[in-house]
Amino acid sequence: MTKILENGNEMWEIGGKTLSSRLLIGSALYPSPASMEQAIRVSGAQIVTVALRRQAAGEGGGNHYWNIIKEMGLSVLPNTAGCHSAKEAITTAQMAREVFGTNWIKLEVIGDQYNLQPDPYETLKAAEVLVKEGFEVFPYTTDDLVVAKRLVDAGCRILMPWGSPIGSGKGLMNPYNLRAIREAFPDLTLIVDAGIGKPSHAVLAMEMGYDAILLNSAIALSHDPVRMAEAFRYAVEAGRAGYEAGMMPEREFASPSTPTVGTPFWHQNK
Amino acid sequence: MNIAIAGAGLVGRLLALNLLQEGHCITLYDADSAYGEEAAGMTAAGMLALFAELESAESVIFDIGKRSIALWPSLLEQLGIPDAYQQEGSIITAHPQDYSELDHFIATLRAKVSEASEIGMLDAAGIGALEPDLSQHRKAFFIPHEGQVDAQRFMQRAAEYLLEHPLVTWHQCYGVERVEEGSIISGGKRRSYDWVFDSRGLGANVQLDDLRGVRGEVLWVDAPEVRIGRPTRMLHPRYKLYIVPRPNHRYIIGATEIESEDRSPISVRSSLELLSALYSMHTGFAEARIVKSVTNCRPALRDNLPRIEQHEKMTRINGLYRHGYLMAPAVVEQALNEGIYKMEGATA
Repeated sequence: MTKILENGNEMWEIGGKTLSSRLLIGSALYPSPASMEQAIRVSGAQIVTVALRRQAAGEGGGNHYWNIIKEMGLSVLPNTAGCHSAKEAITTAQMAREVFGTNWIKLEVIGDQYNLQPDPYETLKAAEVLVKEGFEVFPYTTDDLVVAKRLVDAGCRILMPWGSPIGSGKGLMNPYNLRAIREAFPDLTLIVDAGIGKPSHAVLAMEMGYDAILLNSAIALSHDPVRMAEAFRYAVEAGRAGYEAGMMPEREFASPSTPTVGTPFWHQNK
Repeated sequence: MNIAIAGAGLVGRLLALNLLQEGHCITLYDADSAYGEEAAGMTAAGMLALFAELESAESVIFDIGKRSIALWPSLLEQLGIPDAYQQEGSIITAHPQDYSELDHFIATLRAKVSEASEIGMLDAAGIGALEPDLSQHRKAFFIPHEGQVDAQRFMQRAAEYLLEHPLVTWHQCYGVERVEEGSIISGGKRRSYDWVFDSRGLGANVQLDDLRGVRGEVLWVDAPEVRIGRPTRMLHPRYKLYIVPRPNHRYIIGATEIESEDRSPISVRSSLELLSALYSMHTGFAEARIVKSVTNCRPALRDNLPRIEQHEKMTRINGLYRHGYLMAPAVVEQALNEGIYKMEGATA
């Protein structure tokens, strides 16, 4: 098989686009648009998520901010952050299609105000409608396998289970569930979205065979977002390379790579 | 010298006050009336939060802020309102479930400026000693160096002072189309001056293409049951709330931050966020009266830092963003020293 490489990364496909970076990055919470721009560039991300807060989309709305993102020439993934019902999310998605000229939508329907846990019922309802309307839906969901199955049944070709609640930085709370989703859908595009707090969390998710990582707070809220963006770039690349290389099996005992010269073989396993 | 200032907001007024001390003749132009209802400086709470603002700003604002805090008392003295300045420190707190926000806050500050290591943590007793009404909180930081300027009093008193001053001409409700080197263009007419300043804030957006507005919403409440004397912030994973006390149990509650130039009235969502956070700070706010809501846009540049541009016979100042009162005096001082005063010094 011929592999197409760019900057040493194998190209992959998502929503009809071919990319080299497997890091999707958010555009909120940075100290300034300038630091956002620099962090995004350094991260190497080719997809940037943008929250379309409804009140900001009005006349003369946040055009400057959008323009900064548009000028960067990356693929924009608008999201429905802040929506609490399928109806609201659908309206926001339609608005986003107008504003950003893309059929991509990160579907995020919140069920709990405090920890921003997604509402599986409303998410599913909205996904069914949006898929029919021709959207490429990136649904943000928990790590529940059954919800994942229902979303796939609804026509989603991408799933974005959480690592842990948005902004919690707790990493992969339930690696078992995430692994189960990966095994259940070997060919689906799977992205860990939310809860990633440090680079090692991203490495773990990528080693599990997840296709990509989506994150925002971990970079934007660090003391030095640009440096952290660089750290995540390497983390995602390292995790992916590890996955592709195939990891050695874990063993329940120490197994020296070379027998220690001079130690009798009957002592080597003690 | 004959000097014109386009934009009589916070920066324009400070420029005029400084230049009058040198005996210059000042002409102010503003699209607004002298009440300054449209000015961002009139919406601001006037916090001098040189440490707390570092949570989401670059460390350069710390030095600028320190200089401004040193300059404010004499400026307010010049206007005869020294009591509009308060420096008794500020309180930063959070709900128990959000204590990790406090840890992140102080870690961010300490990573940015070494002086932040002096900021101490208060327990319930310590909080009660400073602010008895907040003693139900069990953890808070006290930042002794911070304070506030009564922004609305400054704006109003500065307007009165300038309007009465014999060396000042103030063209109110008089929009300026362009500010160019040594001239002001308004109503298609060009007027020439020895030096011109462009301090129009967002009004300068036709000439500064990287300038944007960042919407902010604030509420004013009267709460006779609440006694909080110092600016207080509550950290929360999503909402940032501050409470800035004014005389007679009045509190300014702010502020949202939305990437939009929409100036329409405060949204229900923002009101809910601000008010529920407020109520959770002190139940005495339940019976407070909401006397006013204000929406305005902060003028900001891409790095969210102020910019001083010096040209031949012209200085532009813009981008004070959410740090107007914290930065304006020092920024104005620097702009004058590096521009007009330097030129005067060279020709004298």
